[in-house]
Amino acid sequence: MGFLRDLVNAIFTGPTLGPVLIFTISVGGVLALLRWYRVLTRPKVAGAALVAAVVAFALSLGDHNFRLIVAKPDNVPIVMLFFLVGFFTWLALRQAALNDERIEQGKPPREAEESEKSLTWPDLVYIEFLSTVFVTAALLLWSILLKAPLEPPSNPTETPNPSKAPWYFLGLQEMLVYYDPWMAGVVLPSMIIVGLIAVPFIDPNSKGSGYYTLKERKFSIGMFLFGFVSLWCTMIILGTFLRGPNWNFFGPFQRWDPHLLFPLVNVDLSEYVWVHWLGVGKPNSILLREMPGFLAVIAYVVLVPPLFAKRLIPVDIAAKIRGSGLPKALGEVLAAPFAAKAFFAEMYQRLGFVRYNVLMLLVLSMMSLPIKMVLRWTINLKYIVSIPEYFFNI
Amino acid sequence: MADAKAAGTETTRRGALAWLLGAWGLFGGACAVGAGAMGRFLFPNVSFDPPQTFKAGYTSDFEVGKVDERFKAKYGVWIVRNDEEIYVLSTTCTHLGCQPNYLEAEAKIKCPCHGSGFKPTGINFEGPAPRPLERFRIVLAEDGQILVDKTKKFQYELGQWDQPEAFLKV
Amino acid sequence: MPKPLKELLDPRQAAESVASTQVWKSIFRHGYPDSPRNRALTMISNVFLHLHPIRMKKHGLRLRYTWCMGGLTFFLFLIETITGLLLMFYYRPTPEYAHYDMQYLREDVPVGITREIHRWAAHAMVITVWLHMFRVFLTGSYKPPREFNWGIGVFLLVFTLLLSFTGYLLPWDQLAIWAITVGSNMARATPFLGHEGPGASLLKIGDLNLVHAGDDAKFGLLGGRFVGAPALLRFYVLHCVGFPLLLATLIAVHFWRVRRDGGISGPA
Repeated sequence: MGFLRDLVNAIFTGPTLGPVLIFTISVGGVLALLRWYRVLTRPKVAGAALVAAVVAFALSLGDHNFRLIVAKPDNVPIVMLFFLVGFFTWLALRQAALNDERIEQGKPPREAEESEKSLTWPDLVYIEFLSTVFVTAALLLWSILLKAPLEPPSNPTETPNPSKAPWYFLGLQEMLVYYDPWMAGVVLPSMIIVGLIAVPFIDPNSKGSGYYTLKERKFSIGMFLFGFVSLWCTMIILGTFLRGPNWNFFGPFQRWDPHLLFPLVNVDLSEYVWVHWLGVGKPNSILLREMPGFLAVIAYVVLVPPLFAKRLIPVDIAAKIRGSGLPKALGEVLAAPFAAKAFFAEMYQRLGFVRYNVLMLLVLSMMSLPIKMVLRWTINLKYIVSIPEYFFNI
Repeated sequence: MADAKAAGTETTRRGALAWLLGAWGLFGGACAVGAGAMGRFLFPNVSFDPPQTFKAGYTSDFEVGKVDERFKAKYGVWIVRNDEEIYVLSTTCTHLGCQPNYLEAEAKIKCPCHGSGFKPTGINFEGPAPRPLERFRIVLAEDGQILVDKTKKFQYELGQWDQPEAFLKV
Repeated sequence: MPKPLKELLDPRQAAESVASTQVWKSIFRHGYPDSPRNRALTMISNVFLHLHPIRMKKHGLRLRYTWCMGGLTFFLFLIETITGLLLMFYYRPTPEYAHYDMQYLREDVPVGITREIHRWAAHAMVITVWLHMFRVFLTGSYKPPREFNWGIGVFLLVFTLLLSFTGYLLPWDQLAIWAITVGSNMARATPFLGHEGPGASLLKIGDLNLVHAGDDAKFGLLGGRFVGAPALLRFYVLHCVGFPLLLATLIAVHFWRVRRDGGISGPA
């Protein structure tokens, strides 16, 4: 037990390995769910996962440092969020698996079998009444057991260490580690709002309306699960439980030591290009100095959508790779980018110019976050474009 | 018809359109002014922030090589004197506005929020802070005291630290 | 035994005689809801119940389909309104009193869990609103004809978060002011509108900066350069009046459109 605890702590301490591991687990988990949802949502498999999570959580509660953070009254909702999101993801995908099986057999989804009408008095009114009673009772119990936190009176000259935003904004605060405030605090949140509103208009798929299914809407549900579970919820859990003093990364069973120091030497792209690779100094002209960054950003935003949309090579490379006799796993990995490209080309045909480009802009903005994270973890990249003179950093 | 034309009161298509445009333009303009007024309402002419200028005593009150913390709580500045000059350093972190602490033993300024570190000169050298701390205007008042003016700031990355009034020669 | 007394002692007859009074009939314009007709009348003759249709498809009653999250979000909003109103009797939004009133509420006001209910219900509301959106997405319920109502829902989500964010400052403790300091400093970085946002330094006439710490987006939000007394008052007004009114209006539109767009979603 103690060995396991020390191992987990050793893995998580430090600026890189912890977040890499957490995001690998959450992204990998969502990908695995999308691929094997029929097996993974079977009651026995899901039940085993739930039992494992509860047992791991209960055992961890025995640790003083873990309890100190998890049992903090303001953090209780996040523990609830963790279990609730897991449960409801299972509930939805389980019903999707059952429906997809029925659809394959040519039958309508389960929801369609219950299309006869029922009077809302008393059936609906009683369900509502009982759920409000249940929630009120739970809320009262919660309020009696846990005091709402009240810290010392405000003091504008003394900043607590660490200082955290409200928990539902910790995803944004985590983004601040990788992006400048104007991106993480203004542009990306606005993109989330605009992107959510745009969802019905960029998803012309008429299937899957009014019942649970995954097979008929794999891309849209995959994107949503990725954004909501793998990024948003994961960043909240990470920001609450694993970010400690000085915004350092701590293991779940580790003492939050404010004196622990990690030297963070982050380098801008301009320094990489001009100083490290070309061996000359940074140019004085801002425009020339940041040209590599501008080119990279423009290529990402402007060139990727049309490149993906057009079939430049008429051969189906993905099929060729898969059929070339390589080991299956290796073949799949090598074929994946080409298959993705073919997928987007087909999507361009279906969505048309405007819808496709709006969708790509939103998907690219979302993907820019994990890309920036990986760049930070691997090559310590600080900003791609860095113009502190005009507060313009990307 | 003829009478109306003679009297200049006939309604033409062009005339009606002009009226319509004018009226809607007026209405839209009035709405815009109203919205602007409501927006302006949120920006009072006088705000009760701590005073932006203050007198900090005489140059002889400051030791060479020391970061003076006396004005941090009230005015949010450190006053630093080195061999040649005195300058005023903002205590607001350039990352997200937390209040860093001066660690005398390590001779560095460290922000508790996201771990940014600054040298006593204000130059950032570790953590996420995108740029050095700001300096404020410093001059000698008529009575010989140091006058600090926080309304004018000097930023290193704009090359402003060399400007007059960004420091005081001693 | 005289007849009227006998009637009163028999519960069935007593109920009947109450139900035949003028007062009862003036309130309930239909009989006991034991027949389809009276059940339908129950739903349409009550202003609150008539948010619902008279009949609905059975799959829409299943909790495994609806998760009940939208309804619970609304219920938590009502709880917040009631407890919030109660808290306003004791709370003064000034730096001198705010923190003191919090301690007073906890220690010297009976039913000392009112603030707890308010805070935990607020956290729960953020979770239920997310899960509601999650369910609506996974059942494809944003698809035509419900596109517009999905958009209203996104605004409801944003205003729920803003409502919670403005409430976070009111205890006026260390947690509050530093969370809001970090949060509002993002407004400082708004392009062109914040004094540390990209492009702001380009907006100048001669040597005069048009966008500075004394007039930018953050100043408008806080009513000052820092989180101080004006910010507390502003957040208080937005939290207690501004956002709840806005939210209530949007909730009305949201509910109305749910009915107009054909009730709860289901397979075609």
